This record gives sequence, C-alpha cells and structure tokens, in this order.
Amino acid sequence: MERWALASGLKGDLEIYEQIQRDLKRQRGVETFFVLGDLIGPGQNCGDLLNRLRNPLRGDLIPQCIYGWWEDQLLAETGFRGDRKAEALRLNQGEDVVEALLKAVDSSHRQWLASLQFGFIELDCGLIHGSSADVSDELTPESSPLILLDRLTRLDVNRLFTARCGKQFRLELTGGEIDSHVKDLEGQHDQQQVVPKRTIIGIGAGTAYTLYDPGSDHISFLTAGSTSVSKRLGFG
Amino acid sequence: MLHELKNHRGAQGYLRLTGVPAEGLEHGCDSGIDLAYLQDQIPDLRDLSKSSQDLANDTEDLLALIELPQFHSPEDSGVSGVDPRIRSQLAELQLRPDRVLHFGQDEGLPRQDTLEFSRLEAWSCQLQGRVWDPNSLSSFWFELVNGAYGDVYRAKGLMNLPDGRAFFCNWMVSQSGSQFLPLEQLAPPDGRPNRISALVVQGKALDSNGIRSTIADCLLTDAVLELHQAPQRERQSQPTPAN
Amino acid sequence: MHHAVISCLHANLAAFEAVLEDIDRQGIERITCLGDLVGYGPQPNEVVELIRHRAIPTCQGCWDEDIIDGLNACECSYPSQLAERRGHRAHQWTDEQLSQDNKDFLATLPTSLRRGRQLFVHGSPNSQHEYLLPDMDAFAALERVETAGADTLFCGHTHQPYVRELRDGSIRVRVQSSDSSQSAEQELKLPVRRIVNAGSVGEPRHGSTKATYVIHDEDNGSVEIKEVSYDVERTCRAIVDAGLPEVFAWRLSHGFEYAERAEDASHVCER
Repeated sequence: MERWALASGLKGDLEIYEQIQRDLKRQRGVETFFVLGDLIGPGQNCGDLLNRLRNPLRGDLIPQCIYGWWEDQLLAETGFRGDRKAEALRLNQGEDVVEALLKAVDSSHRQWLASLQFGFIELDCGLIHGSSADVSDELTPESSPLILLDRLTRLDVNRLFTARCGKQFRLELTGGEIDSHVKDLEGQHDQQQVVPKRTIIGIGAGTAYTLYDPGSDHISFLTAGSTSVSKRLGFG
Repeated sequence: MLHELKNHRGAQGYLRLTGVPAEGLEHGCDSGIDLAYLQDQIPDLRDLSKSSQDLANDTEDLLALIELPQFHSPEDSGVSGVDPRIRSQLAELQLRPDRVLHFGQDEGLPRQDTLEFSRLEAWSCQLQGRVWDPNSLSSFWFELVNGAYGDVYRAKGLMNLPDGRAFFCNWMVSQSGSQFLPLEQLAPPDGRPNRISALVVQGKALDSNGIRSTIADCLLTDAVLELHQAPQRERQSQPTPAN
Repeated sequence: MHHAVISCLHANLAAFEAVLEDIDRQGIERITCLGDLVGYGPQPNEVVELIRHRAIPTCQGCWDEDIIDGLNACECSYPSQLAERRGHRAHQWTDEQLSQDNKDFLATLPTSLRRGRQLFVHGSPNSQHEYLLPDMDAFAALERVETAGADTLFCGHTHQPYVRELRDGSIRVRVQSSDSSQSAEQELKLPVRRIVNAGSVGEPRHGSTKATYVIHDEDNGSVEIKEVSYDVERTCRAIVDAGLPEVFAWRLSHGFEYAERAEDASHVCER
C-alpha cells in the first residue's frame, strides 16, 4: 500500500522543500505528496518555491497543494475573496507585514493560488490546512475534544489532518457518550450517542513533516534533513 | 399482464382503440406513454396501430394486448360488456379477442382502478426533449397528485432525468401511492433525449396554467443539462481496464 | 417570569396577530423574536411594522439578511430548481414591496441577542443559514451551544419546534506528541446544555397549519411549546391577491412549507 507524505508551512523556503523531496526519495513506498497550505509567507521571496511547485523537476514527487492561512490573507487583500481584506493579518502583525506579503509573492502567481482548493478528501481522511470550519481554525492537542469531534463530524471523515498549529501530534477519540432528551409536538424521546473512534493528526510545519500509511494507519513524524530519518517516532 | 406478454414465445403486439366520449366526460390523451413503456420493457413489441390491416391475417403466434378505453363498468362480462361502438372497431379489424378483462370485475387487473365520475377533464402536455431536475419533479408530482392544481384523479407520464434515465410515473386516486418505474433504455449524454415523453392528467377543475408554469420551473436549461452530461461523457470515454 | 420566543413570521400577518393575542392573553410581557420577519408571505410591511410598534427585541434571519444584502443565500441551500425559482420570485416580490424604512430597520437587527447565559439566534451561532435539527449529531449540537458560551440556545429556522437537553456527556481522548513517546489519556466531562427551537409563526412545518412558538418559564427553566390556530384562509387570500404564486397558498393551507428544506440540512455555505 502506498504511503502519503504531508507537509505545510514552507513559506517560500525552497531549500526546505528540496530537503523534504530528498528525504522522500529515501523513504520506501511514498507515492503521494500533499502540501497543506502556507506555501507562501512574508519572510522571503516565494517565487522560486512557487515555480518549483507549479513546475516540478523530473524526479520530484508531484506536490498536491491546497491553500492555507497565508494564501487566504494574500488572496483576500488582492480582491479574490469578495469584499474581505487581510484584516486578520493586519490586526495581528501590522501593515508592514501585509506589505511584505504582497512583495513576497509576484502577482503572476495569484491566479494559480486562487485556483487551489480548501481541502482534499482521500479515502476516509480529510486533509485541510485549518479545519472544516475555517482555514484559520487552529486545532491543537489542547483544543476542546468537543470542538475536535465537531470538526470531524462536519467533514464526516474518520481522520482529519491539520497543519495550522504547526505541531505534530495524533489525538484519538477513544470513548465517551452523551444523552439527548428531545421534546416536540409528538412527545418526548431519549437517545444515547457514543463517541465515534476518530483521529485528528497535526502534520507539523516547515521541516517537520509526516508520513501516513492508510493501509496500516501507521503515522511517522519526521524532520527533513535530520540524520536519523527512520528513527523518529512512529505510531501504529 | 406485462409478465404474460414478456413470457410469450411468439410475437407480441399492442393496440389501443379509440374511446367513445360520453356526456361531460373527456378521455385522456394517451400520448403514446403506454406503448413507449411497453416497448421499453419488450423491445420486440409490435405497434399494431401501424400494421392493423394485416392483423387478422397474421397467423404467427402473435399475442396481442388490446386496450379498450371505457368510462363505465359494464353490466355483462366478457366481450358483450364492451361498448358496441368499440366492438364495431374490433369487427372492422376482424379481431375476435380470446379473452376480455374488465377493470373492477376480472382477476388479473387491479381491483380498485375504477371510479365513478360525473365530470372529467383531461389535460396533456408533450415533453419530448425535456429533462427534469429530479428533486423538482418529485416536488411537482407531490403537489400534482395532492391537489395543488385541481382534483386530479389520474396522472401518468414518461419523464426524462439528466442522468439518462426515464421514469414511467403513474398515479390514480384509488391507489395509495405513486408508481415510479424506470425504463430499461438509457438516453446517451449527448444533448436532449428524443424518446417519447409526455404527461397526461385527468381530473376536475384543473389549473392548467399552474401546472404549466410549475413544469417550466422544473425543466433544465441546455446549460444545466450540459453540466450533468459532461461528466457522464468523460466517464464513458475513459477506457475500461482490460481483463 | 414567563418569556415568549417567536420565530419565522414570514410576512404572515394573520398568524402573527393570533400568536400575539395568545401571548397577551397570558399576560406575558417579555417577547423575543428570532428573525425571518419577511419572505414568501404577503404582508412584509405590516409584519415588520407590528414588530417595531410592539418594540419586540429581534435578531436577523436569513431572509431579512437577503432582503438587505441582495440575494445572498447560496444555491445549494435550495433543495431543487423549483424551490430555488420560487424562492427567487418571493424574494423579488418582497424586495419590491418592502418600504425603504422597513428595510433600514431590518438592517439594524443583530445576528444574535444575549441575556445572561441565554443566547438567541435565527439558525445557529455559526450562521443564519445553518439548521439545528432535533436529530442532529448530539456532540455537534452541544458544541454549538458551548462554543457560543450559553446554557440555553434559542433558535428557529427549521420551522419545527422542539426542546433538546444534552446531558451526561463525556469524551475520552488519547494524545501522542512527536516530542514524547508517552501517550496521555484524558476524559472531558461535558456540561448540560439545552437547545430550544421556537418553530414558526408564519410557515409551520409540523404536519398542521397551526402557528407555533414557545414559552420559557425563567424561574423553573421549563419550556412549553404552544400551537395557535389562526385564519389561514385570510393569509391565503392575501397571497393570491398579492400576485404571489397560488401554489404558496395551497402549500400553506395544507401545512407544507413554501419551499422544502435543503436536503443536506447540515450544509453550511462556504461563501
């Protein structure tokens, strides 16, 4: 069974991208490479990375990209999101960073960025930058399990891969239940519901990336360029 | 009845004779719906209205289903219960039915398919080439048979759906629910289907403008139909994997 | 103290008047309205003016929003092409009829009202278009109330009144992080929360033609679902006289909604 590689938060860094590609060549069975957004950032010119993502070199694992929070801010600021502007970015990091972001991404890439999807559904897995609620939604191991369960339910998937918080983690819903009592014009009835066995996976950002084997449900959290690629932690 | 025709080893045929109008009662225009449905189920079925001249001379093992429209339940059973004016049509064609079944009397036909009417209006509409939005069709049919456009006693139609299927939709006031039977033949995803499609309604105080305008809201434009058909063509053009 | 919550009036004056009369007769002074004052029905100005006259605190419904902002409901919220065309026709008619003054009033309505730990919204705290149905996933339903910081969430939009209490909930999780080989197991005890759907005054969808609303006893927390008969014929005549599609009158007089609910009721538009 083929394995998936998942990365995010490259923010224009071609070097990290190349390092991950080199790593993946040494991994066996990795056939699909998902890049879950934040391809761009205000820190450096993103042109080289975007050109490489759009025109992979021979031997590159072809990247399948979706948009992330930084793309959403850029697209909002440049008129691709209706009346909305990059307000969240402006509020949190100031006008300078908005300017830096605009400068970091050549306008010739905007149309391509605007064509990227919000997420992928593969098998019973949802692959999204933030969550099914919003691209900015930050899911962490500390998030309320009620919210995590809601985000899984909204997509109706068993596994949700998220990148927004930048952390690598695996959070399994292992049990629990709830009682529901409904009164309506027809009468009253009770219902009990149990927590479905579902999982949220944080895939990391930058050099921290993740391998996933859908056949065995095995997850490996890796760091690009680290000497002991295969020694990093894995969960089955 | 369909079963009997299907299982017949020799040739099979269908003929519908013209009904005779009665005071205040209008016959529904059949619009070829029954023939089209039967031909879909039995591809070799002969349309005897086109070859009725030779009908009597046909010595082959032909099993012919002949439909005789009649408003009132007959007093006599068998062929003598048939309206003399229709009987004369049979005589002209030199046909002598082997078996005559009357609705409401004979086993083998649904029992509750007869109603007493004093007034009956008929309304029909050709829908050839028209394709329905499926959920809209289900809303329209619900409204139609529940009286939103007048008291409907009987409604039947052949309706095209955007996935190439067509349904024989059938409802009568005496039955509890509607019948929706899919046709065997699928229309190709290349523009508008050209098979027979029509709606026939019988009832009282029918609001034909209301029916017409609702139907117009349910039918797909060329552009929307193309949205449905493009992916179907794509799927078809994909090579099937070799075994 | 008793408190009446009404929703989804849909420009049906006869129904609104009958419900107000029912509330007044019980001596209830506090009324809250969950929006959809207009849409489909024949008396949008009269209904908005009565809300203003009685100074009933009201939050904005999806129809109220669409009338101000232009047709905004995404196409996927209509279950069929027929429902969509009828919805657009009703929207256009309402837009033409509603006075600028009344439109300005609708534009001032907040998307939610809060009174202590009670929250009042049209659809859900997330969206005026989201349906909270009585059989919705219980954890997701609880999430809506809890994330909004409420004990009781009052909503409408589904046109089916109900009271749902969510209790004795728990979720167990196991967390593994990349920087630790240990996995930690935790259990979260969920709080008791309640969703109260006020049904619909002007466009019921519960199998009969009666208007529905709810009365909340703020002292003991109990909620009563009320049904009120009204002069349906009067509204039906007004529909026909107004030149709205006659089938609206037929649907109303048979207890069917003007347009059926979207098939995927949990759908939230991403627009």
